Amino acid sequence: MPDITQVLIANRGEIACRILRTLNRMDIPGVVVYHFADADSPAVKMAATAVQIHGPTPVAAYLDVENMIAACKETGADAVHPGFGFLAENPKFAKRLAREGITFIGPHPGAMELLGNKVSARTFCMDNGFPLITSVTEAEAKENFIESARKIGLPILIKAAAGGGGKGMQIVRDHRSLDQAVLLAKNEAQRSFGDDEVYAERLLEEPRHIEVQIMGDLHGNVVHLGERECSIQRRFQKIIEESPAPMLTRELREKICTTAVEIARRANYHNAGTVEFILAPDNEFYFLEMNTRLQVEHPVTEMVTGLDLVELQIRIARGETLPLVQDQIKTTGHAIELRLYAEDPANDFLPSTGALLAYSLPTGKGIRIENGFARGMQVTSAFDPMLAKLIVHEKNRNQAIALALQALNDTLVLGVTTNIDFLARILAHQAFRAGRIHTGFIPTHTKELAPLPLNQEQRDLLLAAAALGSREFSDPVLTEPYTSLGDWRN
Amino acid sequence: MQRRINLCDKPYLVTRIGPPRTQQLKVDDGQFQPVRLTSMKNGQAMIQLGGSRVHVQMAVKGETVYIRAFNQTFALDILNPVEQAARGNFEGNTCRAPMPGTVVTVDVEAGTRVMEGQSMMTIESMKILTNICAPREGEVARVHFEPGSTFGKNAALITLTKKETV
Repeated sequence: MPDITQVLIANRGEIACRILRTLNRMDIPGVVVYHFADADSPAVKMAATAVQIHGPTPVAAYLDVENMIAACKETGADAVHPGFGFLAENPKFAKRLAREGITFIGPHPGAMELLGNKVSARTFCMDNGFPLITSVTEAEAKENFIESARKIGLPILIKAAAGGGGKGMQIVRDHRSLDQAVLLAKNEAQRSFGDDEVYAERLLEEPRHIEVQIMGDLHGNVVHLGERECSIQRRFQKIIEESPAPMLTRELREKICTTAVEIARRANYHNAGTVEFILAPDNEFYFLEMNTRLQVEHPVTEMVTGLDLVELQIRIARGETLPLVQDQIKTTGHAIELRLYAEDPANDFLPSTGALLAYSLPTGKGIRIENGFARGMQVTSAFDPMLAKLIVHEKNRNQAIALALQALNDTLVLGVTTNIDFLARILAHQAFRAGRIHTGFIPTHTKELAPLPLNQEQRDLLLAAAALGSREFSDPVLTEPYTSLGDWRN
Repeated sequence: MQRRINLCDKPYLVTRIGPPRTQQLKVDDGQFQPVRLTSMKNGQAMIQLGGSRVHVQMAVKGETVYIRAFNQTFALDILNPVEQAARGNFEGNTCRAPMPGTVVTVDVEAGTRVMEGQSMMTIESMKILTNICAPREGEVARVHFEPGSTFGKNAALITLTKKETV
């Protein structure tokens, strides 16, 4: 196994900075690539070597395999860390690097192909007896569809095979209504999609998203680093993650984590990976998918285990044996990650753009920030609208929530609409505090999560502040207070 | 001095009178009250209006004032009368970009009759596709961009002909 002497980071933003920090600590020179749009970003300032890359769009530049190969050759980098997104789960990229003799800091391309594809991963799990949501298609059941559907167990969801968008769906909570529901679903499917084929699936109500961080080396050792609870989502994307997952019994946690390790072991998986599960209220859990890379939310695992996942990835990639066996991995306290997004919770979480006129992130004991922006930078539509991640670590969940609320209160982002106040309202919500969370948490609690309406006194104060604060409205003699307002601390 | 200020999508008429040291302010048809804005350490400010006061954090860019107060963050747009008139003229005739992005498809051309709510253009901003729909029934006067073009926030995308008067 070749040594790693210089690592190219095929990524940008906060994750590029985060990988650079570990490389610096390990005394391995890091190289970042950057598109012109990122020329002033913290990652470029932080790296000893930065190579400009080009593309028809900024995103395309980071997705271009040849850009990365050329930058490795130019700088002599002998390994690549892909971060997450962009080329991180592209087996072709990993294969191409191997052909060039460059180490890909991640799993083997074969494992990426097997587990990165939802269909092949499902087949793999089914063939190996790992838990999948029970379902039956008409084609599988042949003549006995109703009988096969009955065996799934209540409640059952009947769905159009061709469909989507909730059309042709029927929920069955009583076996007596099964025949009628199948008939209705088939009629609706025929009307909506011109195809009356339906399938039945066990309906999971208010499920949780629980995932397990695993790490495998090239010598057949696989360990898990505990689980993460990632149920708080909007637009099918996580915004709050925590570890450990609240309200799990020791036995269930152990069972979920062991299953994840078994899946990885059976797939001959090495390097960092995450096995995602859906957990039903009856404590049954089912394989959802596997992410064959470092995850956005990996810091919560790092906070509770005290391990540096990027360091482990690099050590594994250069052929070292995992430094810890399962029994040596201990977790302490509770960690919560909040993803700060430039988006508008009042407008269906649509991304927002603008200049960061004020940008001040909290610091303090138990607070960790992963950030790729600075005051004065533009948030554009070119990239994902995540600004930063705020991670807190405390003795227990209640204290972690309290610290997270305080940290959000100490965060100031002006110039672009963000989800910061919305995150605070989630943390303060009674159901969240009680650990009663599921993937439908945000739509279920839309009303309580809306901001309190302003009273007239508050409204007038805001209007007065805006009036006197605007250059437009004020006389020259009045501008003196605002010149100082223009310059914020960082 | 009078300005329209938009707060939470509602316009208010704000009037300020008097010399700087003793200035007064009123909102819509309310009472004039003494008003004062004081800047403080660490970018904070205090606004006093009559007997009420609150600490705020604020930043100004162009005609927009960003304020954090009451555990919320607000963007207030200050409109001067000239601009307001300009916006008023185009209101209902021009569809503007809600945020910067790229045109993906254009479904109409100059002269196309459209129904209210009919999709005229698809744009992509931050990987999200949005349909630009006709705000009313009418005829397309001008399509400002071709597929593949990029545009900034508030850019005119499609203009309809002026509303026919009966």
